[in-house]
Amino acid sequence: MIRRTAIFIGVLIVLALFAPVLAPYDAGEAFRDFLHAPPMRPHLEGATPVAHPLVLANRMEQRFEADRSRTVPLPWFGESGVPVFLLGADDFGRDVLSRLLYGARTSVGLALVATFGAVLIGALAGAWAGYRGGWVDEAIMRVADFVLVLPVIYVVLVLRAVLPLVLPATTVFLLVSVIFILVGWPFVAKGVRGIVAVERNREYVQAAQSLGAGHARIVVKHLLPACAGHLLVQATLLLPAFILAEATLSFIGLGFPDPIASWATMLADAGNYNAIARFPWTLSPAIAIFAIVLATNLIASQRDSRDSESY
Amino acid sequence: MNRQSRALLSVLIFGVITFGAWRWLNTPERDDSAGEIVISEVASRGGRLTASLRSEPRTFNRLIDQNFPVDLYAILTSSKLIRVNRATRALEPGLVEKWSTSPDTLTHTLTLRDGVTWSDGTPFTSADVLFTFQAIYDPKVASVLASGLSVNGQPFKVTAPDARTVIVTLPAPFGPGIAILDNVHVQPKHKLQAALAAGTFRDALGVATPPADLAIIGPFMLRSYEPGQRMVFDRNPRYWKKDAAGIQLPYAEQVVLEVVPDQNAELVRLQGGQIDMLQQPIRPEDVATLRPLIDQGRVRVIELGVGTDPDLLFFNLRSPYWAKDPRREWITRKEFRKALSHAVDREAYANTVFLGAGVPIWGPITPGNKEWFSPNVFRYGYSVERAREILAELGLVNRDADEWLEDASNTEARFTLLTFRGNSSLERGTAFLRDALRPIGVAVDVVTLEQGTVVQRMLKSDFDAIMLFFSTTNLDPAMNPDFWLSSGPAHVWNVAQATPATDWEKEIDDLMREMTAQVDPAERKRLFDQVQRVFAENLPTLSFVAPRLHMGVSGRVGGLEPSILRPQLLWNVDRITVQSAGR
Amino acid sequence: MGRFLLRRLGFALLLVFVVSSAALLLTRLAPGDFTIDQALTLDPAARERLRAELGLDQPLAVQYLSWLRGAVQFDFGRSLLYSRPVSTLLSERALNTAVLATAALLFATAIGIPLGIYTGSRRRGLGRSIVRVLSVLGISMPPLIGSLMLVFIAARTGWFPVGGMSSAGGLDLSWGPWLADLATHLPLPALALGIPLAASLERLQSQAIAAASHEQFVTASRARGLARTQALLRHAWPVSLRPVLGLYGVMVASLFSGSFIVEVVTSWPGLGRLMFEALRARDLFLVAGCAATGALFLALGTLIADLLLAYTDPRAGSGERA
Repeated sequence: MIRRTAIFIGVLIVLALFAPVLAPYDAGEAFRDFLHAPPMRPHLEGATPVAHPLVLANRMEQRFEADRSRTVPLPWFGESGVPVFLLGADDFGRDVLSRLLYGARTSVGLALVATFGAVLIGALAGAWAGYRGGWVDEAIMRVADFVLVLPVIYVVLVLRAVLPLVLPATTVFLLVSVIFILVGWPFVAKGVRGIVAVERNREYVQAAQSLGAGHARIVVKHLLPACAGHLLVQATLLLPAFILAEATLSFIGLGFPDPIASWATMLADAGNYNAIARFPWTLSPAIAIFAIVLATNLIASQRDSRDSESY
Repeated sequence: MNRQSRALLSVLIFGVITFGAWRWLNTPERDDSAGEIVISEVASRGGRLTASLRSEPRTFNRLIDQNFPVDLYAILTSSKLIRVNRATRALEPGLVEKWSTSPDTLTHTLTLRDGVTWSDGTPFTSADVLFTFQAIYDPKVASVLASGLSVNGQPFKVTAPDARTVIVTLPAPFGPGIAILDNVHVQPKHKLQAALAAGTFRDALGVATPPADLAIIGPFMLRSYEPGQRMVFDRNPRYWKKDAAGIQLPYAEQVVLEVVPDQNAELVRLQGGQIDMLQQPIRPEDVATLRPLIDQGRVRVIELGVGTDPDLLFFNLRSPYWAKDPRREWITRKEFRKALSHAVDREAYANTVFLGAGVPIWGPITPGNKEWFSPNVFRYGYSVERAREILAELGLVNRDADEWLEDASNTEARFTLLTFRGNSSLERGTAFLRDALRPIGVAVDVVTLEQGTVVQRMLKSDFDAIMLFFSTTNLDPAMNPDFWLSSGPAHVWNVAQATPATDWEKEIDDLMREMTAQVDPAERKRLFDQVQRVFAENLPTLSFVAPRLHMGVSGRVGGLEPSILRPQLLWNVDRITVQSAGR
Repeated sequence: MGRFLLRRLGFALLLVFVVSSAALLLTRLAPGDFTIDQALTLDPAARERLRAELGLDQPLAVQYLSWLRGAVQFDFGRSLLYSRPVSTLLSERALNTAVLATAALLFATAIGIPLGIYTGSRRRGLGRSIVRVLSVLGISMPPLIGSLMLVFIAARTGWFPVGGMSSAGGLDLSWGPWLADLATHLPLPALALGIPLAASLERLQSQAIAAASHEQFVTASRARGLARTQALLRHAWPVSLRPVLGLYGVMVASLFSGSFIVEVVTSWPGLGRLMFEALRARDLFLVAGCAATGALFLALGTLIADLLLAYTDPRAGSGERA
């Protein structure tokens, strides 16, 4: 499992870091005559992958036709002169593939940081609550309740109003991560607390206590590992939620400045069923999210069956 | 099989099923029914017309609220004294059968129609008209109609010598003339007199009022209001209007306004035949979506013409805001705005933002406003070189290695442009502008905020530049003094000034006042042409493209007279016909 | 037990109080106020008059105290937006959202838990993989697109009404037909809200039961000769409910806040939509009322979940070994 996880994360990192090299175009590069252009089919011409360039047939209906009389090389294999869209273009005429690659950095990076933070804080808080019980438990759980019910949108709105108008991307990244962590930890805490509340009565815990282990040590070394499986599932649930929640924040005004791509905004822009029916390639971020979550799920569940015996 | 292959296989199976389902759902149905679509007017009655509403009315009291849902309710349930036909702009008799004007144009004598009754049987008399004006001018009511029914702040004098006659005297000459009565929504004295006397008129006619308590004089009566869902109206059997053949209007039996907050869901319902018409024009991309249904005759797309409320870009022209800002030397200068106007390729703007369905404009009045549009204003042609020239004259040249211009103090030519999300023409427009100003070396930071925040900043004069649009309900500029006069609250680049801050704003103020008081239409037009010229010379707001608007309606609907002003189709609801069969 | 309930009730009230106060405060702090909508048509003097009339020019402390005074008498003020008492508006809409949320929760539980048990108890199998893929799809689908797709399917197939909570003229119906009408309008939004939830429940339940299956007492019960399914359901499952039930209260809360998108797309007249409109319009008292209702439902959900937890897993309460 470690090896597979490492490979998976490695691929993600490569894609993210090398997005500027891999992506054929800039995230904000708009081709005005190619709004909602469909994906172009690559084929081989000798040894070079090429595609037929697109020609605008009807601007209002956003219809394009492939010019079969000539071919242009794909962006990594030579100068084409005309835009080549392997995953089509969005409603601003920007290359979806490029935005997908650049957006991976933003969206997946943000979601990973937020998930990690929320899981960490939530696990610690929930474990402490479950372990200590009594008023500590009550207090932590009520704080979690408060955070859950607080209308976060309002907080963000007020926050946005007091922040300077123009926010650099890194500031937005940090702010959104913090907000996600603050909003996400109660979910984790509640689940962990449920597990720990029972686990603390197990023999190995009592054994450790009788050996004089401190509370913190027991929590970290014994109880948290018992929740590891649950924490992994929580992570797989939080990850897509955070990727998508960025769109809501962006709607209130706390989003990444254009032309920085993010998968959530790409999907929000495509959030028109008729547009999806006519231009299905705008749904690629959803497929990408699905793929990543599926992969995370597979890795997570491997762990479960690894140390089990069939019965 | 190992885990990964199984997962992949299930993804594959799922994908195939989804793909099949998607194809099945998206194949257009063969329409085998031989339903004949009647376009021309049908002199028959019946049918239910379903329209969509994006937000709900806050009250049924049109005197205190002018938002669209209340306005639509008023159009359905009340009648006007004199109506301005929204398609032809002609004056039509309504509850007023005929009228005469004194030679000094100040006094209008209105003769009310005979035999008109409210829906509960009470006769309609001049007392109701008198009462309505009383309510409008009552300070406790604080009616939104009061300022529109005043000249220079003075109310009209209204008397009712007998049950069928009303005399309206204006305090001073007023350009729009008797057409101003199009704004008056008559209220039933017998129902609301007590509330007005007790000072609770604002609370009367709330949305919780039982339909039985509402006295109606228009084509439809409210039958039920299900909050959050829909409003159902039945035809008013006591409606006074008849068509040319003597058939009593309205044609339709029932009107249902479905509350559909989401624009995409609205369109889906139109495609599915669940609603007959949408609240507002469809987006350019929706025309192509409806194409298959149009070909089958199930949906029609009606061209309304060029829109009259274009998106406007404006800068903060209030000096105190820029007092400590190093950009003040050039950013408030009109030359800067002229350069920006030169830098925008309006044809490309129309292609990108409106998919080609737009016309270039150079002022806030568009060709869609046929009466008032003046083509003789200076048109800033698309020229990047000219833009750079003008900027250089302002001292903005490229002084370092990056692509942006700097002024003499080395401050970058950069400003923040505010707008809000959820409106595709604003989002695309601001993105287009950012890309358009890059070649001339001006950097634009587009910041999208929530709507209330943007308006608040505008009112507090706390912004660099904003891009917004404003919905006007009246094409006569004299009816929009809030925007044109420097003292107006909607004088967006410098709201509510005590005295005009610049000479040209004073000039516009004087011209507008003259034009409002002038009765001769030709002279009014001449004066307003001059206003547009001053506007184009000083560019307090920049406009680029006005969209061509389209409405989508189901094929069952007939008798439509489209107008560019909202509600584009329902303003004439009593003449709309609906085929009841053949869904 | 009685003390436990009392304590929980106390906390619930405290939570409601704190959250609604916070919402009130935040709405005051947000830029603009209720008159901002009409600000472009009113000159500053008229706008000030309107603000005075609506009571918006009072300092925050005064406004808050007068609201508080009313709140303890269950008078939550008047909505500026609809000119009706907040409590009336809330009771109408909250009930609608509660119906929707309950339906979604029941659906999610009925689908998610059994499927989770199924996938968690097997280590291989095509069925398991298919369910797992579907779950992942459920949790990674953006709610807006999912809702729109369901609306589109309903529109094209005509199986369900495309939106709203009742048909036109529904108010005239008597109880029986009205319930039947509601039953046709409920599936669409309930599915839109419930599918992601079902997917989450399936994933959580799946992991939890896989972990619980390997507990010693389960193996012991197998050794005693208990059939696999029985061992599963009688021993492993109650234990696996721990993390799942712990999250039920949370899910109730997220249903209320997340229902907004579904309510907008399917025109369901619920609380989520009301709250968003109230925020947009800066309708102070309505915002506070909505936040308070949300808090109440969360407290209720958590309480029920905790009670169920104590009931199903004897170890959680008393701390004894099974």
